[in-house]
Amino acid sequence: MKKLVQFTVAVVLASAVLWYAITELNSAQGYSGGNTLTIYNWGDYINMDVVEQFEEETGVKVIYETFDSNEAMKTKIEQGGTTYDIAIPSEYMIDKMIQEDLLIPLDHAKLPNLGNIDERFMDLPFDPKNKYSVPYFWGTVGIVYNPSMLDGKEITSWNDLWDEDLKNEILLIDGAREVMGMALNSLGYSLNDTDKAHLLEAKRKLDTLTPNIKAIVGDENRMLIENEEAAIGLVWSGVAAELMWENEDLEYVVPVEGSNLWFDNMVIPKTAKNVEAAHQFINFMLEAEVAAENTDYVSYSTPNKAAMPLLDEELTGDERFYPPPELTEKLEVYENLGKRNLAYYNELFLEFKMHGK
Amino acid sequence: MGNRKTSPLSTLFLVLIFTILYLPIFFLVFYSFNSGGTMYDFEGFTLDWYKELFADTRLLIIVLNTLLIALLSALISTVIGVMGAIAIYSFKNRKTKNTLLSLNNVLIVSPDVIIGASFLILFTMAGIKLGMFSVLLSHIAFCVPIVVLMVLPKLLEMSPTLIDAAHDLGASRWDVMRKVVLPYITPGIFAGFFMALTYSLDDFAVTFFVTGNGFTTLSVEIYSLARRGIALNINALSTLLFLFTIVLVIVYYFITVRNKPTGMGVRR
Repeated sequence: MKKLVQFTVAVVLASAVLWYAITELNSAQGYSGGNTLTIYNWGDYINMDVVEQFEEETGVKVIYETFDSNEAMKTKIEQGGTTYDIAIPSEYMIDKMIQEDLLIPLDHAKLPNLGNIDERFMDLPFDPKNKYSVPYFWGTVGIVYNPSMLDGKEITSWNDLWDEDLKNEILLIDGAREVMGMALNSLGYSLNDTDKAHLLEAKRKLDTLTPNIKAIVGDENRMLIENEEAAIGLVWSGVAAELMWENEDLEYVVPVEGSNLWFDNMVIPKTAKNVEAAHQFINFMLEAEVAAENTDYVSYSTPNKAAMPLLDEELTGDERFYPPPELTEKLEVYENLGKRNLAYYNELFLEFKMHGK
Repeated sequence: MGNRKTSPLSTLFLVLIFTILYLPIFFLVFYSFNSGGTMYDFEGFTLDWYKELFADTRLLIIVLNTLLIALLSALISTVIGVMGAIAIYSFKNRKTKNTLLSLNNVLIVSPDVIIGASFLILFTMAGIKLGMFSVLLSHIAFCVPIVVLMVLPKLLEMSPTLIDAAHDLGASRWDVMRKVVLPYITPGIFAGFFMALTYSLDDFAVTFFVTGNGFTTLSVEIYSLARRGIALNINALSTLLFLFTIVLVIVYYFITVRNKPTGMGVRR
């Protein structure tokens, strides 16, 4: 009994010490004060130096939280019980969130820097007139490949992936929209196609790709390609940029048949407590120098026209990551297909995944 | 059993299993000292990742949060769990006893994801803000059944005559509890506490649903970091946590060894 009591006291004391340390650290960081801004973003998707700069300039303390999928983020915001002031979802999710009334309309008068954004990235179908969202980063879906592992073979189109020589070399992303989109594009259809016959045709075409597929993976694909476990990967452009940073031999290509153009955008969810600071933050992120600094770190493509001259020309001149307007016009943004069509996409994708070798 | 010789084959098997289990951890630890910055090219020894780790206040707060939640939830769930185990034990009706025990076990085997999702729904319906409190509550909830399961066998193992004897000798109910029952089940209580502690420390699925408002635990944070490839400071952090758990195990070992029943089943 004595031992139990001693032990309990020890645990309580240890907890008290921890509690004290946490509150001390929190107040040293300024988190416990009133003027805070909670940002909900993808993991490692912002340059923390920029955030610090924002804190110094405005006196607002930033709490940074991370999510790993649009769906998880939406669930948390939908359920309430959180106080996110800024979230950074992808375009199709923004469409959904607008429809479900989860976002606060932006006050454009408080965002004078909005003019820095390249006009081609404004007023897009998922958010006409940018009433709710401001572009944060954009990019494409394409193919990263390792020429030295392919005897110098060049890849330019989706259909090149069906080449018999590429046995067991391809890594796909575990995403129904991406993979089905690839198959649809390779057949010359739109990646927003909802015609059942076209979708079935795409699925059948995917089945014939199985011998070439090494694995259908999530974010591990980065490591597998880096370690030269596979020669070809279906990836987002930002992933490709990072990979090429590590290994200069790698090549990235946006297939000629067309592909997906995606956006991540800053929005203010309904749950926001500090709408004023949220606007301040969005405007701050649109400043040319800040956007440039952030882009340097994140290595995805910036939609900020004013930031372009401040970036390394080698990067902004790279048409693989900053494709010219002729190409971006050919690329398609994912549209919200509606629940039923999306379910059909998922079903076909699942069937394809289960299709044995 | 004790003095039968183990065959070389079984020794080999044991060594093999332990190697497989521990190798990834040592791999991780090894690369936490790599100056190269990646997990596949060892360039040289450095402590930079550890320095970076301690310079990152945000991560430090998250580690402390995780430890605090683990300690508190283990403590509270041990208290509740011990009371629950004694309650189940005290039911004379075998059927009720079994029903209660089964209900307890269902909570252990039910998938974490479902528990987490239902907590999220519960908390939002009850208007509880997500944050430290919600995480603590849910951790206590999934730790209690574990504690019950660790304590109950000790209670069942205890001879009922022990309690009768104490009563006969004039002990009050409280005296029996304090001087007979609790000392007897102490090893079970410690086992429950440490089990709860480790469960809480490494739980991801439930915690993922109920964190929010600036409060995160380590498992959730590492999960979202992993999206962009894990930096070596996470290796460093894992190394430290691994050492921490080893220390816990050693502490637990000493506590249980010193509490070994002496045969009479009664200790001071």
